[in-house]
Amino acid sequence: MMFNPVLLIAIPLGLAFIAVIFKKIQKWILALGIIVNAVLVFFVEKGETAIGGFKIPFGISLVLDDFSAAGVILINILALAAIVIAFKKAEKFAPVILAGLAGMNGMILTGDLFNLFVFMEITAISAYILSSEGRKPAQSFNYLVIGSVGSVFYLLGLILLYNQTGTLNMVLMTEKTGFLEQTVLLLPVLLIFVGIAVEAKLLPMAGWVRGVLGNSNSYTGVMFASVYSSAALFVFGRIFSQVLVPGTTVGIVIITIALVTFAAGQASAFRSKSLRQVLLYSSIAQSGLAAALFATGFVFPAVLVVVNNAIGKLIMFSAAGSLEEKYGTDDYIGLGGAFNKNTLTGIAFTIAALSLTGLPLLFGFYAKLNVLAAYLNQGTFFVPAVVLLGTIVEGAYFIKILIKLWAPGKEGEWADADQSVGDKRIFSYTGTIAVILAAVLVVLSGLLPDTAGKLIAPEGGLLGDDGPAISLLIQKGGDQ
Amino acid sequence: MIKFASLLLIVIGLYGILSTRNVIKILVGINVMEIGINIFIIAIGFVNGGAAPILSVDNPGSLLKFVDPVAQALVLTSIVIGLGVTALGLVFARKIHKKHGTYDLSEIGGES
Repeated sequence: MMFNPVLLIAIPLGLAFIAVIFKKIQKWILALGIIVNAVLVFFVEKGETAIGGFKIPFGISLVLDDFSAAGVILINILALAAIVIAFKKAEKFAPVILAGLAGMNGMILTGDLFNLFVFMEITAISAYILSSEGRKPAQSFNYLVIGSVGSVFYLLGLILLYNQTGTLNMVLMTEKTGFLEQTVLLLPVLLIFVGIAVEAKLLPMAGWVRGVLGNSNSYTGVMFASVYSSAALFVFGRIFSQVLVPGTTVGIVIITIALVTFAAGQASAFRSKSLRQVLLYSSIAQSGLAAALFATGFVFPAVLVVVNNAIGKLIMFSAAGSLEEKYGTDDYIGLGGAFNKNTLTGIAFTIAALSLTGLPLLFGFYAKLNVLAAYLNQGTFFVPAVVLLGTIVEGAYFIKILIKLWAPGKEGEWADADQSVGDKRIFSYTGTIAVILAAVLVVLSGLLPDTAGKLIAPEGGLLGDDGPAISLLIQKGGDQ
Repeated sequence: MIKFASLLLIVIGLYGILSTRNVIKILVGINVMEIGINIFIIAIGFVNGGAAPILSVDNPGSLLKFVDPVAQALVLTSIVIGLGVTALGLVFARKIHKKHGTYDLSEIGGES
């Protein structure tokens, strides 16, 4: 039995209001909503669904193709994993989280540009409220101001496009902007880019990230770094790979901004001393890489990068937030040996870090290889060079962190267990199981990359790109 | 004409946000920007001499010449969203005042 995709939005939104009324049982309502959505997401009907009985270009429609299916599955599973890891932290925000989940599903599914604005605002408001958990109201306020200005720019760009084309429907918009001159599209596309870039964490609109993610806990860190940012990147992909494919001039501007974001993120991560800051700058860098890929039209590699970053940051941010709660510091030098008594969590963290760097046999390798192959097949050498340089820096700072967290003490000395910072457990049992499962997923999809690729893009390509740029099927050696 | 006036409002709001460090004044700036964009949307949908987009016995001519109803629907939604964001912004402003005793971000210093 297949269900209407609007349920993915309606169920959490309805439960959010119910959770406001029944405050006593709101944590069970939260759990119910998230679990129902995580199951339902596998049983929704593909194709275009009209809402409210209007025919499709006149009313709002939901579009569930392979691209948005990958998006909603990722978002809902990650949201489930996030509450499994830190249910205690999440339960008091039940209505906010449910409304945010509805907003994110809506963002990815909607086929209408104004409806996208509404869902982005719902998601953003829930993100502002979640950021207040960091107890730094000035940082939350900063986030709210940047987000509001970004959304005004998005709306302005959207209205200019509406004035030119007379439609808000994405499919019609794609058709009609094809007849317009690039110079007419220049301003609206850039304004829309600014609006989306705030949530997608691209420089220079990422000023809020440091204040918000730097003060995140084991729940909000996961929400911001993997759930919200994946949703924003999927929207970025939908807009700039399909609806408003940037022309040469705008394309160069967007790709340059994205690559600068990637490079600056990696460099700042290398310089940071605090674990959460390293991770947040690494998130900014990965967003930049994914945005560059989307803007070039390499949708499949971009989705691989988003998925890899989301799973990796799920493990790493929850561990970093939890370490900060347990030990009161997130300076990784002060956390030496924290993994000695948390072997399983440590292994999961290590796998996530190595996968983000792109080590072979892990999912990140398949992602990075596809990124490089896509550009090299096209004959571009500059971008792969930037990506590879960034990867070296990335490897350097992740390995620096891993060595410290596993082996306390000075370089060249034998590390004893009693040198380590303490033996507090990082996660509860359910939390440990969740991060281990995520790590197993990274390893399995790294060992069977073609199967993982088929799961993400069953038809071989997403939004009309070529799909996997390289095949990693394990074959017999020798002559064949 | 009104389109240019509304764009001017957006610029004034942006200037207000960038030029002050007072939390309440920044929120006022955001609201000025939002009013600007709302007027701009309405102005885009305006048709000179057009009737309200309501079909009735008294107003059958509205079938022929009417202002764009989509723009008005968009503005309604946009106003509601603006209200929500402003309310939340004021909550944060109260929290800042409670924690630091001031509405001025420059007096808070480096809260990171």
